[in-house]
Amino acid sequence: MNDTASSVASSGAAPGALPDGDARRKLRRWRAVKDYFARYSVGTFGVSVIIALGLIFVYLFSEVAPMLRPASMSVENRFPAPGGIDTETSYVTVNRHLELAVRYTTDRRVVFFLPESGEVTHEVDLPLPADAEVTAFTFAEPRTEIVAYGLSDGRALVARHEYNERFSPTGRQYRPAVFYPVADGDDPLTVVDAAGRSIAAIGLQRGAGGVSIAAALDDGTLRLVRFEERTSFMTGEVTVRRIVHDLPGLPQGAQATRILLDITGAHMLVGDDRGFLHYFDIRRPERASLVHSKRVIRGQDAEVTALDYLLGTVAIIVGGSDGSVVQFMLVRDDDNVNQITFIREFRSHAAPVTKIKPEYIRKGFATADERGVVQIHYSTSNRTVARERVGDSPLPVIGFAARANALIAVDDSEQFTYASVRNPHPEVSVGALWGPVWYEGRSQPEFVWQSSSATDEFEPKFSMVPLTLGTVKAAFYAMLFAMPLAILGAIYSAYFMSPKMRGLVKPSIEVMEALPTVILGFLAGLWLAPFVEGHLPAVFSILLLMPLFMIVTAYVWTTALAPLVRRLVPPGWEGAILIPVVLVTGWFCVSLSPFIELWFFNGDMRQWLTDVGITYDQRNALVVGMAMGFAVIPTIYSITEDAVFNVPKHLTQGSLALGATPWQTVTKVVLLTASPGIFSAIMIGFGRAVGETMIVLMATGNSPVMNFNIFEGMRTLSANIAVEIGETAVGGTHYRILFLAALVLFVLTFVLNTAAELVRDRLRKRYSSL
Amino acid sequence: MSERSDSTTQNLSKVSLPQAGGERLKLSRQTPSIEVDRLSLYYGDSLALKSISLVIPEKRVTAFIGPSGCGKSTLLRCFNRMNDLIDTCRIEGEIRLDGQNIYDPTVDVAELRRKVGMVFQKPNPFPKSIYENVAYGLRIQGVKDRRVLDEVVEKSLRRAALWDEVKDRLDANAFSLSGGQQQRLVIARAIAIEPEVILLDEPASALDPISTAKIEELIFELKEEYTICIVTHNMQQAARVSDFTAYLYLGELIEYDDTVTIFTNPKQQATEDYITGRYG
Repeated sequence: MNDTASSVASSGAAPGALPDGDARRKLRRWRAVKDYFARYSVGTFGVSVIIALGLIFVYLFSEVAPMLRPASMSVENRFPAPGGIDTETSYVTVNRHLELAVRYTTDRRVVFFLPESGEVTHEVDLPLPADAEVTAFTFAEPRTEIVAYGLSDGRALVARHEYNERFSPTGRQYRPAVFYPVADGDDPLTVVDAAGRSIAAIGLQRGAGGVSIAAALDDGTLRLVRFEERTSFMTGEVTVRRIVHDLPGLPQGAQATRILLDITGAHMLVGDDRGFLHYFDIRRPERASLVHSKRVIRGQDAEVTALDYLLGTVAIIVGGSDGSVVQFMLVRDDDNVNQITFIREFRSHAAPVTKIKPEYIRKGFATADERGVVQIHYSTSNRTVARERVGDSPLPVIGFAARANALIAVDDSEQFTYASVRNPHPEVSVGALWGPVWYEGRSQPEFVWQSSSATDEFEPKFSMVPLTLGTVKAAFYAMLFAMPLAILGAIYSAYFMSPKMRGLVKPSIEVMEALPTVILGFLAGLWLAPFVEGHLPAVFSILLLMPLFMIVTAYVWTTALAPLVRRLVPPGWEGAILIPVVLVTGWFCVSLSPFIELWFFNGDMRQWLTDVGITYDQRNALVVGMAMGFAVIPTIYSITEDAVFNVPKHLTQGSLALGATPWQTVTKVVLLTASPGIFSAIMIGFGRAVGETMIVLMATGNSPVMNFNIFEGMRTLSANIAVEIGETAVGGTHYRILFLAALVLFVLTFVLNTAAELVRDRLRKRYSSL
Repeated sequence: MSERSDSTTQNLSKVSLPQAGGERLKLSRQTPSIEVDRLSLYYGDSLALKSISLVIPEKRVTAFIGPSGCGKSTLLRCFNRMNDLIDTCRIEGEIRLDGQNIYDPTVDVAELRRKVGMVFQKPNPFPKSIYENVAYGLRIQGVKDRRVLDEVVEKSLRRAALWDEVKDRLDANAFSLSGGQQQRLVIARAIAIEPEVILLDEPASALDPISTAKIEELIFELKEEYTICIVTHNMQQAARVSDFTAYLYLGELIEYDDTVTIFTNPKQQATEDYITGRYG
């Protein structure tokens, strides 16, 4: 205290040492400015980082949000049937620009009209003979735009309308026309039954091989007429061959009401008047057989009132007089025989269902009932997305526009209602994203990610489960590889290694972090994966022999070798002795690998694994575990090393002074005190592994499988985004689901890191030292 | 500063008085516990202790005083080989504990440190409960029997005069104790493993006067069973608690004798200068 007092006094005595008052005031002001500037710039930048993070979240969410908006249907206009209300409408549809609609009538006309107003623009008379009655009507998949009339004289007419749009400076112009695709020479009609029996029900489909017609004649005979198209590969000329097959009949007493043909030409489904659905295998029509019959409506009194295929002719939707809307599919049973199988049920109508109308390009469909209500459903997501009452009278006919963005409903007094539909993302529901879904063509509900395919009728499969599981799987194996190496290595170098060796080792490992992951992924995919495949026994023998040889070396070093030899290596450098051991063990295991394969695995371990029934992919979790483990080791090592090294020396000395050995001190005091740091190292490493993209992209094979097999690959959320974002339609459901995946990833890492921080904080409070 | 010394002196008057006025202890009549024989210590190339020889008597308190950097802490740390932890540190000469050279290659350092316990300047409880801190040394020695542990923990805490303050919260974190309590906990931890010698490296320098008084009281009681070596900067403390005092300066042992002699009639001018405050 005396000292301080005297120094103050002396400074007062020697004024030359400090600048004068003015200069000091100036300095103080300048200092205040700098303080102010520093405080606010640090604050601004800190807050900016948080705002930037928030904006990322907002952006991701804004891309996802449109999927959450419900669909809507709103009535635009009502008008009496274009072309006259004194005839019934058989079929109605609107073109993809919502500029022209078409109406097929029972009095043999095709009327083209403007959907907004109902104004007629063209009319075509169908060449149906005047002496025959129309007894049946049907349509193929909407996208084919073909319909068929069945007549009382055993003939049928297949018609297709075309809008024939032309472009002129004033806009699109239409010159619609009607064609007859299966015309027999000049005669647009085709003979189904030469004997002239009346057609009671008719089915129509256009597949890859051509058009098929199936008809139920009034005496119960089922007949199939195929028009096989063959394109000459020399001239490009198309020749059509007409083949007629008689099919086995329905069970006694059943009357066919509706016939469905699929686009592959393999299946035919016939609905009867007693609520049964009959499945015929017509792959070889000459040997066609009735495979399975099933009552598809519940309740004794209920009837099937509507029946149709969805796009792709796999899913069958059944509407009943009880208002139920149920989906069935053909599913192979244990004997590989297709059975009509219940899949899912949609929201019921309050009145009998009158009509089911599938969408042109998606797995959605609309249903109408007798009380004027229209509902729009989506098959995969099992959702009923919209419901609208368009009138009070029954709606015998409804028709979708080609893009499902408008709908025309026709009531029993031939009043047309034109409604616009906004339904961009019906594919998404919590169940479709996270639950098992019974997809078309599968034998049970599954979790599948398969976003695109080559065909139009493909059902997109958007299950996030395989991707999330793949992410966790990749991170799990990476951590399995990285955690022991990084943490034990960190403890050794922080606590046992000499400072000089530590000064070499620590920076080298930390520099590993700077290695671009694309190089790691590249090496893992192109070098490590084939190497591991070729030297599988080496991988496992290294796992076993490496620690064993290390322990043996340590034992020999500490006990058998004379103290004199031991002095050659200064304390803290013992780790260096293991370098030759590691190299020699590695070399030994790799060169021993072919012999192990010869002795134990019939010469090829990979083949042996396959024979045992374990799937082996070349790019698998083992390779990813090593490559990504390599990428996260520096992170975990560095943080753990710091945590262990920063354990106060007085704690370790206190422990040593109590007679603890260095090892006891590490396990009982150092690890305990460093545990918050080690925990956060693990969590940060895990977060890094979860978000890592390039390595998993290049070394996993990207197959979205659902298992934890170390010999199979996976597809992670991050790699999935990288792979697919380039090939999605902006604003489409797939695009938005990828953003949802990004959001899930973002939230996952956010939650993980926050939880880690909270736990670390608690641990730190508990084990904090003075 | 003066205020602090006053209160300490007041508090300790009853402890220190009988000793100061009692008959002088003769160094030559004591049973030796630690014999230091021409001990030299190098940090790298610099010589930190210069051929020091002294005998530390059993069940007495020996104080090491001297200005900062004189080597008194270094000497203390030689007694339980804590200097081994410093890479560049090298030793010449011998230190014998019960006649056995502790720097012999056959000596188990961990066992040596059990016999020669140490308390540091800053209280360093482990981030564990009070109970586990005291039981730590026993667990290290492989004691698992809960009854034995309970018994030793209680006995040690009683000996360290901490039992009454913590008996109801043995499971509380040791950091919840005050600095003085922590230091007594550390002493309890050291005596739990039945050492022969306890080394105290400025045990009260980070504590307030009342805590210091309690520690000093404790030292006075502990010397009945243990050989105690204490390093201190506080001359009054050395005078109060120790039986023998060694004055070190620049790595050399200047003077070593019974405390009364050192403080009342030092033989060396340097010692007197230091004690009277003319130096340091």
